[in-house]
Amino acid sequence: MDWNAILEFARGTFFQVALLVFVAGMVYRLARILLLGWKPNRVTAKGSRLGGVGMSFLKGAIIWPFIPWVKNTASRNPVIYIAGGIFHFGLFTVILLGTAHMLVWKSLLGFGWPTLPLPIVDWLSAIAIAAMIGLFINRLINPVLKLISGPAEWLNLLIVFLPMVTGYIMTHHLFFRYEVLFSLHMLAVDVLLIWIPLSRISHFMFYFFSKAIHGAEFGKRAVTP
Amino acid sequence: MTEPTIYQHLLDQGLSRREFLKLCGVLAGAMGLRCAAPVLASGLPAHLVNDNASAAEAVAQALESKPRLPVIWLEFQDCAGCSEALTRSQSPTLVDLVLNKISIEYHETLSAAAGFQIEENKQAIMKKYAGKYALVIEGAIPVADDGIYCTIGGRSSLDLLKEAAAGAAAIIATGNCATFGGLPKANPNPTGAKGVWEIITDKPVVNIPGCPAIPEVFTGVLAHFLVFGALPELDHLNRPKTFYAETIHDRCLRRPFYEAGKFANTFDDEGARQGWCLYKLGCKGPTTYNSCATIKWQAGLSFPVQSGHPCLGCSEPNFWDGGGFYQGQSAPVIRPALAGVGVAAIAGVVLGAGVAAANRAQKPRDAEKPVAAQQNSAAKE
Repeated sequence: MDWNAILEFARGTFFQVALLVFVAGMVYRLARILLLGWKPNRVTAKGSRLGGVGMSFLKGAIIWPFIPWVKNTASRNPVIYIAGGIFHFGLFTVILLGTAHMLVWKSLLGFGWPTLPLPIVDWLSAIAIAAMIGLFINRLINPVLKLISGPAEWLNLLIVFLPMVTGYIMTHHLFFRYEVLFSLHMLAVDVLLIWIPLSRISHFMFYFFSKAIHGAEFGKRAVTP
Repeated sequence: MTEPTIYQHLLDQGLSRREFLKLCGVLAGAMGLRCAAPVLASGLPAHLVNDNASAAEAVAQALESKPRLPVIWLEFQDCAGCSEALTRSQSPTLVDLVLNKISIEYHETLSAAAGFQIEENKQAIMKKYAGKYALVIEGAIPVADDGIYCTIGGRSSLDLLKEAAAGAAAIIATGNCATFGGLPKANPNPTGAKGVWEIITDKPVVNIPGCPAIPEVFTGVLAHFLVFGALPELDHLNRPKTFYAETIHDRCLRRPFYEAGKFANTFDDEGARQGWCLYKLGCKGPTTYNSCATIKWQAGLSFPVQSGHPCLGCSEPNFWDGGGFYQGQSAPVIRPALAGVGVAAIAGVVLGAGVAAANRAQKPRDAEKPVAAQQNSAAKE
């Protein structure tokens, strides 16, 4: 099997197609949600909706998640809080500040930025992978999560897990030839790009919308979070 | 009359016994039996030379007992760069002996004769050594329109290749063009250029890709065939494993900087001056299998990465079309056009708006319903 040819396909045509599907899919989802419209607003606002949005982001997304005793999740489900937090932090640091990943952004956006040394990125990805395994086990044994997990949730885990694991093995030159793992990594990324708009992984974008809408509602009622 | 052995040939050339043994050691090294040619040629410490004794002995025995290996060297869509590199290889004795004095019978660039004379000579050699000669191909073979895009003496290269390949004991394709199509095959490939092994499928073809191929690798392979009468072990792309088992990245002298995350961002920044990793400048070392980093060039003086230029991946198939030379390898091969992304976004909006409109048409909007009806429906849910 000529893995360099597969790599060329995964980095070339397939990536191109996956990226376009991703853009079209996310815009489709966005259009659907925006066109649902607001509920008719029959109540006089008691406070500023915009202020509510600001507070919602500032406290709810930027400050509070990092203070464990303020977050209910931390005490009610520490596994989700710790593993989930580490997973997200590790994933985004690696995607944005890993040199190889930054070069992808650079080629797409036209500009780059300084990156972290490989050992740091490496440890973060290892920790993120461990956290992801923790989340998987948690989903397996937590009775409530078990009830609300369908095939889509398990697929989410798998499709996010594959690029991380292949990427980690690739940087360490383990088990397979570099281009084999590079190909598998790129194929996994391509599948992930196509899968995101179809799944709840789209929360990477819609999370900010829901945060804004909650904030606006809180602001209207003057009960900022 | 039996053919004179290589050793006899060499004695006739005025080679001393001592020089002969030295050559055997160099050949053993060039084949990768122990270590690379330049190391041996530069004079090893005694304990290392002893280590090589058995390998060199095997070579000596073969050269003393075997007749010369005739080589026919054909050039098609090439630049003669591989030949050029070979003539300037850092083991002049080796190349001189293996190619000029021992074996080479036909070479368009190097042969003194030309025109019909040499073509006739080639025919004679092919007849005389049928089934015994080694065929070396340099350059791609155009197959579009019956191969008219490359003709020699009025015959297409495709025709010439098939004719010469029929009687060859071994076929060695040298350089990226002869192995994987190289530059002639680059998109859009108007001449339908192909590598040798895509055309000759009934015989083993040894691929020695590179742009140019490393001379020591070529002589090593030829020496292996000469000494053992068999081709070296090949990988999935028919490359000799001795020379193509490891990537440039694996053996790179800048590798520690990669691990430490220290990269040159431009060709003239502090990182470049400090000799840091060239990954960000588009180095293809991680996926390129070749011996540049170990054998190096010009008597082991340097190789591209050492002298400050990222690896282009010239020993891999389709290296011309595998993304920008100076673009990081992780970057996508094709940069999506803004227009394409725009079209995708518009398609998303249209689809989303369409589905939203269809949904609205199906059920009356909440605002138009009486409040009581809303409460009713809420209660039902």
